[in-house]
Amino acid sequence: MVDFSLVLQATASGVVTGCVYALIALSLVIVYKSTDVINFAGGEVVMVGGYLGMVGLLYLGLPYALIFLFSAALTFALGAAFDRLVLNKVLGRAVPGQSILVAMVIATVGLSYAMKGSVRVFPYTEDVRRLPPLFTGEPIFIGSVVLQPQDLAIVGIAVLVMLALWAFFALTITGKALRATSQNPRAAALVGIPVRTMRMTMWGLASAVSAVAGILLAPKLLMTPDMGVIVILAFAAAIIGGFASLPGCIVGGIVLGVIQNLAGLFLTSSAISVAPFLVIMLILTLRPQGLFGGRVVAKKV
Amino acid sequence: MYGSPSWQRLAPLLILLALGAVLPPLLPQYFLYLGNVLMMYAVLALGLDLLLGWAGQFAFAHIAFFGVGAYATVLLQTRLGIPFAAAMPLAAILAALIGMLIALPATRLRAVYLALATFAFAEGAQWVFNAWDRVTGGADGLRIPAPNLFGYPLGTDPRAFPVMAVVLALVIAGTLYLTSSKFGRSLCAIRDSEHAAAASGIDVRKTKVIVFAISAAYAGIAGGMFTMYQSFVNPETFGFAQIVLVLSMIVVGGLGTLPGTLIGVVLLGLLPEVMRTAMRSLLVWQELVYGVILILAMMYMPRGLWGTFFRRRVRP
Repeated sequence: MVDFSLVLQATASGVVTGCVYALIALSLVIVYKSTDVINFAGGEVVMVGGYLGMVGLLYLGLPYALIFLFSAALTFALGAAFDRLVLNKVLGRAVPGQSILVAMVIATVGLSYAMKGSVRVFPYTEDVRRLPPLFTGEPIFIGSVVLQPQDLAIVGIAVLVMLALWAFFALTITGKALRATSQNPRAAALVGIPVRTMRMTMWGLASAVSAVAGILLAPKLLMTPDMGVIVILAFAAAIIGGFASLPGCIVGGIVLGVIQNLAGLFLTSSAISVAPFLVIMLILTLRPQGLFGGRVVAKKV
Repeated sequence: MYGSPSWQRLAPLLILLALGAVLPPLLPQYFLYLGNVLMMYAVLALGLDLLLGWAGQFAFAHIAFFGVGAYATVLLQTRLGIPFAAAMPLAAILAALIGMLIALPATRLRAVYLALATFAFAEGAQWVFNAWDRVTGGADGLRIPAPNLFGYPLGTDPRAFPVMAVVLALVIAGTLYLTSSKFGRSLCAIRDSEHAAAASGIDVRKTKVIVFAISAAYAGIAGGMFTMYQSFVNPETFGFAQIVLVLSMIVVGGLGTLPGTLIGVVLLGLLPEVMRTAMRSLLVWQELVYGVILILAMMYMPRGLWGTFFRRRVRP
């Protein structure tokens, strides 16, 4: 029998990593909802965000608080530019009888190779690095659970980003316009919303959220140009949440983080790596709309 | 009109067979190796094109069936002592059966979910190849004994080359028959509109399951071809990068067109080799160049090379 305090500890660290998965999943879902694209470059945006943070911190000497803005601003521009320059063009050249999804997805795969490739070009990235911890200090004890101050900071920042996104989408007029665009682009265009700009903004916003996740991961994971594979966990998280619901994928991320840690505790450590695939297949087979999604509604004709 | 393909469309296969017989003594081994690689990719790509280009099903599971084919062909010989000539078809049938099992739940899913579910299946399969080390040899891989085809030993590039050419010719002929049959028309109907297809009396679910199985069988055959000229197999061979490569081949060449698929296979199959020789000192740029090529191809050639230059619509 596994010690109960170990279970608590595993759950707590699962929540911490789950928050980061949730951020990446948010980014994927924002892109999917607004542009119908599965972003296979999502993981590479996280990676580039992390590296940009490192450049800001170690070379430009920016304080930790500012590198979030620095990295988010640059990845916002990157995401927006990709939508504007590439996806816009792909969309405009749709071929009848051929799913546009395929072309869009391959374009994002191209982006992921291009990003990995451009990071690898710097000899600097041959060494595996990691960022210094966000906060140092005495670990905090809650009952028998030990938490590093850094873990609390990760949860805090992730929650802050989520709240900011919620406030933006729910309370601002731009946020409402963005939501309208993702629900029905044609109607949105009719009432005068600049749909193209909105799509671009969504790509930028999603990339910025990923960049924040990248900086949060950077002190915990080893940084390599290949760290983008983490995106599979975010896909699983998003699917748990139904792939179309923002609150759903936050819950999905946390659930997945906890499942992963408990699987590692009760089964074998290799179960950690296969958990996301099993979760994706099980959920899509049994409940394609996700655990929290409502009825599946056919979109468009 | 549908029926059998005309002999004009089958005739070029004779050239392929003749090349398979004539080239091995004439070409250096490296070129024969490239030829083998391309012929294997051609079978993989033709299978994926049936699923994606003809039936419009966006699935990533193809590479897993390739792995099943390769591992099963080897294991049936080494563990059960089944001769190669039987092991390879059996492995293809096994891949088709697994494909069918996957298709039963997967065909209920809409585009995006199908892509994600099959992506997860492919990654899961690669995990199995890694973790089931008592059978697959795990990450260390498995040595492939030289297959013996009715007393004719394969296992080297020159010896495998003619047999690979025969297999590819058979697969192409099969593809021509399939796509010019009523079944091929049903696939296009499903791709263009499932509702319209169902309304005109096509059993959409059944057709999708069958095309999944056929496509998986192609991948299984390609797995068997892999064991003809390679001496070693490990899970790395069946990763995400491979499925992206095959996918790019058919999309860059032209979805749903046989010549397009073959052009894509040759171009993208040779690209790494060309880059290796042309960019010797700049090898690190390879990934970036590949990514940019994919992006540009999607932007400027949505119909693929074949469709762009021959202005032929994807066949109705």
